[in-house]
Amino acid sequence: MGLFAPWFLAGLAGLALPFYLHLLRRQTRKPKPVSSLMLYESRTQSSTRHRRLRYFLLLSLRLAVLLLLILAFANPFINRNTAVLSSARLVLLVVDNSFSMRAGTRLPDAKDAAMSVLAGKGAARAQVAAFGSQLHLMTQPIEDQPALRAAVQAIQPGDGHGNFGELARAVRAMAESVHTPIELHLFSDMQRGEMAPAFSDMALPANVKLVTHAVVSKAQPNWTVEQVDAPGQVWGKDAKPVHVQAVIAGYGTPAAQRTVSLVVNGKTTATKPVAVPANGRASVDFPALEVPYGFSRCEVKIDAADAFPADDLRRFAVERSDPQKALLVHNYGDNRSPLYVGAALSAAAQSAFILESINVNEAADRQPSNYAFIVLSDLNTVPSLLENSLTEYVRAGGSLLIAAGTSAGGRSQIPIFGAHIVETRDYSRVPDRFMAVGSSDSSYPAVAKANGWLGVKFFYALDVDPGDARVIVRLSDQTPLLLEKRIGEGRVVLLTSGLDNLTNDFPLHPAFVPFIEQTARYLAGSERHGGARPVDAYLELRNARERAQGVEVTDPEGKRPLTLGEAASAQSFQLTEAGYYQIRLANGRQDEVGVNPDPKESNLDVMPADVLSLWRGNAAESSQEASAPGAAPPHKTPQTLWWYVMLLLFLSAIAESVLASRYLGTEREES
Amino acid sequence: MLQRFLNPSVLASISSLELVAKTVVDGFVAGLHRSPDFGFSQEFAEYAAYTPGDDLRHVDWNVYARTERMFLKRYHGETNSLLTILLDASNSMQFGSHGVNKMDYARYLAASLFYLAIHGQRDAAGLITFDDEIRNYIRPSTRQGQLHRLLAGLEQAEARARTDFSKPMHYFMELLRRRGIVLIVSDFWDSPESLIRNIEPLRFRGNEVVLFHVLDPEDVVPKLSGPSILVDLETQAQLEVTPDYTRNEYREKVAAHLADLRERTQAAGMGYYLLMTDRPLDDALREYLTLRGGRN
Repeated sequence: MGLFAPWFLAGLAGLALPFYLHLLRRQTRKPKPVSSLMLYESRTQSSTRHRRLRYFLLLSLRLAVLLLLILAFANPFINRNTAVLSSARLVLLVVDNSFSMRAGTRLPDAKDAAMSVLAGKGAARAQVAAFGSQLHLMTQPIEDQPALRAAVQAIQPGDGHGNFGELARAVRAMAESVHTPIELHLFSDMQRGEMAPAFSDMALPANVKLVTHAVVSKAQPNWTVEQVDAPGQVWGKDAKPVHVQAVIAGYGTPAAQRTVSLVVNGKTTATKPVAVPANGRASVDFPALEVPYGFSRCEVKIDAADAFPADDLRRFAVERSDPQKALLVHNYGDNRSPLYVGAALSAAAQSAFILESINVNEAADRQPSNYAFIVLSDLNTVPSLLENSLTEYVRAGGSLLIAAGTSAGGRSQIPIFGAHIVETRDYSRVPDRFMAVGSSDSSYPAVAKANGWLGVKFFYALDVDPGDARVIVRLSDQTPLLLEKRIGEGRVVLLTSGLDNLTNDFPLHPAFVPFIEQTARYLAGSERHGGARPVDAYLELRNARERAQGVEVTDPEGKRPLTLGEAASAQSFQLTEAGYYQIRLANGRQDEVGVNPDPKESNLDVMPADVLSLWRGNAAESSQEASAPGAAPPHKTPQTLWWYVMLLLFLSAIAESVLASRYLGTEREES
Repeated sequence: MLQRFLNPSVLASISSLELVAKTVVDGFVAGLHRSPDFGFSQEFAEYAAYTPGDDLRHVDWNVYARTERMFLKRYHGETNSLLTILLDASNSMQFGSHGVNKMDYARYLAASLFYLAIHGQRDAAGLITFDDEIRNYIRPSTRQGQLHRLLAGLEQAEARARTDFSKPMHYFMELLRRRGIVLIVSDFWDSPESLIRNIEPLRFRGNEVVLFHVLDPEDVVPKLSGPSILVDLETQAQLEVTPDYTRNEYREKVAAHLADLRERTQAAGMGYYLLMTDRPLDDALREYLTLRGGRN
């Protein structure tokens, strides 16, 4: 017998209250007025005795109500043998099927241990769950042993990244709903990398008893391909050679020489030896990735010769296609903008885009939808016909880069983008004669890969009111320099300076090339295609405009995981397996991605014993860890008496109400 | 039918005192089938021999012409009586166990008597309200509007303080210089001996003094279903009392008190009428006027 919250016993001091009220009540009884006491004589003794006798029961009930209320808060419990409680307790068997459980015989060992525990529990009420990145319940709480054993056997190896914090959160939610003690048996390799960032995230409720069944006791050496850096798209048949860089990591390994292979569509195209230091990393570079037109399934493999072959490769998909067309509209006589933008695109974007430059007078007869994106450079007056067609183009999903330049200073607002021009800033008049970048959003690819535009000098810029646009770069005087706004389904990027070397020295700066390259990729949407994704990542399938059109997803096993309803309406799709996914998007475009497990799963280091003991909640019980599966001995489990206390409290409160109303009724009669 | 309106509880719902008085008196008169003149008229009584110093205006000169002897003509009573009501406005008069408390009942009674005197008999009527001193005094008069002044005085009479006949008595003596009828309306919660000693001097001036003893039914028969703390409305003193006591000893003491008061009052030549507030007003008036009979 004990109390979960004994500090609530301080409320016992409140028991004095009924005593005080009952004594006070005697003194403050409502007097009855009479005309005169001339003929009355005092008679007190018999009445007082009578009242005490009657109110004693009411006082007792009130004391009982208070006492039970305090007990309810203190939450009493009794320790009962778990064997006695077998019918009221839920045995939750959780088998870890994260990617690391593919190493050696970990998953079969875990399933065997779970079967042994099931056999030892007899007719206990149990539930089976698989635990990867999320907790998947395989059964309801049942006592059907064959069904439970079948559920354990049905657990398949997964590719997710386990997280004990997520497991604890799911068990906490379950403990709140079932209201019975839970005996949680966790069958896992107890990987250190699966621990939650904060230990408090792994805390389990008081009525959950954790019993861990580790299938391995110490770390195992393992080599893996930790990272591959390769483009998702290659443009044209004469594209420049594409580099593929890979990082080979060893966990708990000695220094060794490994052979790294680049495989394209099942054929090994290059092989390189690499010396991996002890418990360290080494990078390898394949200078030329040759892929045919269309999607190619590529992977980087190593000959690891360790117990975990599943992580010896890393997949990625590459698409080779013809370059896309881009249009640059400039002022008549402006030759600098086409020169710089065209040079930057051809230098960096691997010939992904063919830039067509025209002056504003020629733009009226062009069809905007033929271009992947359009650049408006330094326009004094945009013809209304062009403005309308570009607005429609953006609303329908097109992309636009507007460089304000100097000519736009005469306007009140930026065309299409809609921002109000507050004033022009001519920095050639300030003491330094230029203004540098003050702050930038490093999450934006066009800025991140351009090193934050450090050292770029701006001589002229427009100060615009951002409104609801996202400001990506600001100058030192807080003037917005680069902004993005979504209009309809498309997006418009605004540079408040120019693309020539008159308003800034940006085109002459090394940061200009990655800026133009990343902006072009971003506006054309090509950065979203091909490449590699981690398991459990979400893939965007459609935007709102394409809701009515179906999508198609084919998983690595060649199955279509989406139902017809999901295919018609799902906005995104979770990549749950490692392998290659083929996707046909709602806009008709084909895509293919390589999906790889989380690299953290390759680190087979196990959780320290002291941390494990702490998680189980009692270091002294560390001997309970089931070295022999299923041998968890019976132990005392606290069973809360809260419900019984509340029931008694309810009954006492009713009795007190009935009795008090009778007394009050009598008093009313007397008055 | 009319009787229903004479119930004190029903009268309590009538806000106008004049209407209350009119309802009571007219109903009473209608039920009695008698003339509104109740014997205060001039009637020849006897001749008396003239002695020097007598008022020559009362000499019967016709008799003197025939007999050459001077006689005075004497009459029964005064042509007009002087009615003064002394109304107890102490806190104990506030007590009431049903719809009408003693103060309201006393107001209705006084209003009815004023109406009867002024409208019925054209007597002069006045009012003195008091508790432990004189609170209000309306001089007896037959002037136009006197009834309204009296009724307004009754309206304004609020029960407060405690009763003490000894203190305001000498003021009564000064105010009641002319001989007349003095009606004292009170619950008379005092010892009979002390009461009579204080009130009796009014009688010495030749006044006809009548005590209207107004009591609530619970003043006589208190209802207690359990031990209770009682508080005196005038002194605020508290006393714990049991129902056993009120059922037995208290009732005996009240009966003895009332009998003693009646006996002492009548022995002192004063009238005494006990009025319970649950009794219809016309009954009380009828009893008083019937017993008063042909007295002047």
